[in-house]
Amino acid sequence: MVEGGEMISVVNEQGDTIELISVNEWVADIDGNVESGNGVVVTPDDDVELLRESLHKIPIIALDFVNFDNGRGYSQATLIRKRWNYSGEIRGINAHLDQLQFMLRSGVSTYDLQEQYKDSNEHDYSHGFSICYQAAANNANMKEKF
Amino acid sequence: MYQYNVDDTAFLVERVDQFEKQLHRHLAGELDGAKFRSLRLRNGLYMELHAHMLRVAIPYGILNTEQLRALADVADKYDRGFGHFTTRQNIQYNWIELPEIANLLRDLSSVGMHAIQTSGKAMRNITADPFSGLTKDEVEDARPYCELIRRWFNIHPEFSWLPSKFKMAINGAKLDETALQIHDLGLKLVRNDAGELGFASYVGGGLGAAPMIGPEIHSFIPVEDIISYLESVLRVYNLKGRRDNLKRLRIKFLVREHGAVEFARLVDEDWQYGKNDPELKLNMAELEKLKGDFALPIEPLDLGDFKDTIDLNYSIWKTNNVRAHKVPGYSIVNISLTQLGTAPGDATSEQMRMISDLADKYSLSELRTTKRQNLVFPYVRNDEVHALWQALDKSALASPHQGTLAHVVACPGADYCDLAKAVSIPIAQQVQQRFDDIDKLFNIGPININISGCENSCGHHHIADIGLLGLKKNEEEFYQITLAGETLHETAIGRKLGRSISGTEVVDAVEDIVNIYLDNREEGENFVDVFKRIGIAPFKEKIYG
Repeated sequence: MVEGGEMISVVNEQGDTIELISVNEWVADIDGNVESGNGVVVTPDDDVELLRESLHKIPIIALDFVNFDNGRGYSQATLIRKRWNYSGEIRGINAHLDQLQFMLRSGVSTYDLQEQYKDSNEHDYSHGFSICYQAAANNANMKEKF
Repeated sequence: MYQYNVDDTAFLVERVDQFEKQLHRHLAGELDGAKFRSLRLRNGLYMELHAHMLRVAIPYGILNTEQLRALADVADKYDRGFGHFTTRQNIQYNWIELPEIANLLRDLSSVGMHAIQTSGKAMRNITADPFSGLTKDEVEDARPYCELIRRWFNIHPEFSWLPSKFKMAINGAKLDETALQIHDLGLKLVRNDAGELGFASYVGGGLGAAPMIGPEIHSFIPVEDIISYLESVLRVYNLKGRRDNLKRLRIKFLVREHGAVEFARLVDEDWQYGKNDPELKLNMAELEKLKGDFALPIEPLDLGDFKDTIDLNYSIWKTNNVRAHKVPGYSIVNISLTQLGTAPGDATSEQMRMISDLADKYSLSELRTTKRQNLVFPYVRNDEVHALWQALDKSALASPHQGTLAHVVACPGADYCDLAKAVSIPIAQQVQQRFDDIDKLFNIGPININISGCENSCGHHHIADIGLLGLKKNEEEFYQITLAGETLHETAIGRKLGRSISGTEVVDAVEDIVNIYLDNREEGENFVDVFKRIGIAPFKEKIYG
């Protein structure tokens, strides 16, 4: 995917660099993309239903949380992880410190915080609450009260 | 009533700690204004004209006296000695200093109170019938369901960053004291043909600039499936709700764009998965436990041949303020916070403490709040109603105006609110002064007047017999009048009378409207009945003719 003239890529949990393409680019040539080892970047406006059938062929899915007030990413993550049982890495990109726990509970497994948060204490926000009142994709280390 | 347990309290403390860190980051320049705004709103904090306003939740309108005293202490310690009870069963403070907010919230958390999600683009405090569990004609007491749903929407991982605010109401009674269909989501407890309990849902109601009555979306949702159902409605909204047009953010626009049938289909499509997820089934054991927590604390009382005191003022007050209780020997008592000369819904710390003392003595230390900005004593012995009235009267809280024209509902308006276009409270006071004659009020009978200072409609003017909406034209305040809105028996949005009327003439217009009503009223008719029979023309003729 070309954004601002540059290809977007991420380094996955295994340390490999993976290029990210858009949902439309993925759907247009699934076999080719599998062969190239491309991952998919999902923006809030994307319809993740388009990925459903080929979901398990995608090596990494990056959800873009750049817009602080646009919460579609949390539902996208929930569908991909909880409903469709995607077992690969879901990366939250352009993430915000204050929303880490929401992302992680919705099924995001790794994240890249925006530059502005580089000196912040992530633990305060990724583990901000020890109690939760609802089922979610990931309630690890929380006391469930529902 | 339900008391927060150790986990609930720990959760509240964690929330305050987190908000305090966010505040410090903001003050240190590490968290920008836009993001901090979004975060502070989720903690009930608005920046208003003169200071910060804090909205504290009174979940589904239930309070104990320890909590009311804590609210009084907050008023003294952090505000100017008073609080404003709102139309959505919250309380607001208007003069909060930002650096003190964490200490204030910590004080509240010690009595199980908070300001979580009382504002911002998130799920808000649930509106409930203030008479839940108290009246005869109830389908089911809504409070245990309110509590379970309240827990569920706290910091929901998926639905905390919605396109807009999301307000819910839950009603278990046959009469609708909650105004269910003007909420983003209304749930009505119903029984199906087999006698099983469930909910009917109404989605996409709302007031504001484009008032809408929420259509029925599903007629029967089994109790155990309510959480998965709510998740599906919220998911459809979160994924498909508009975020591009600031005037189309609420779920009502999504429902209107798709139509009720298509919206229901979208919810069904999603719900078929959630319905079968065991984690999303309502916790029936916890529900039973909550039913125990909310069990009536009173038994039928045999008062023998008790005869209540005869006294003219007492009798007038009693007619307007006291309702029948389902438990023999008890009454439900409304205390009007709308006194002549004060802002509707306002209570001083002294009044809050005095009311707490009275509720300890006469109502088993429990109170309810209502959308008409009253406090309710739910458990008053019939042979103690007179003594309670005397005590209230001594403190000028025995206003007999409940349900009459002098009981005006109003938002804080331009005197306090940054959004308001016109004042509300001074108009309310002028109406009260104009009709300050109890014989006249009694003759007029039950009629309600609501005032909103802007299109956000916090004064719920659309659903009043007479609604006033503040506008600004060339720096002058005007009011648009709507007539015959209602919610108790059926939901109707008030009809616009015509062009707006200047603030200097609007109270005259209200009086004219009341006179048209009185001139045309037939035996047993209320305002809406008369309006339906004679139409809007005679009112228009009188005001503009």
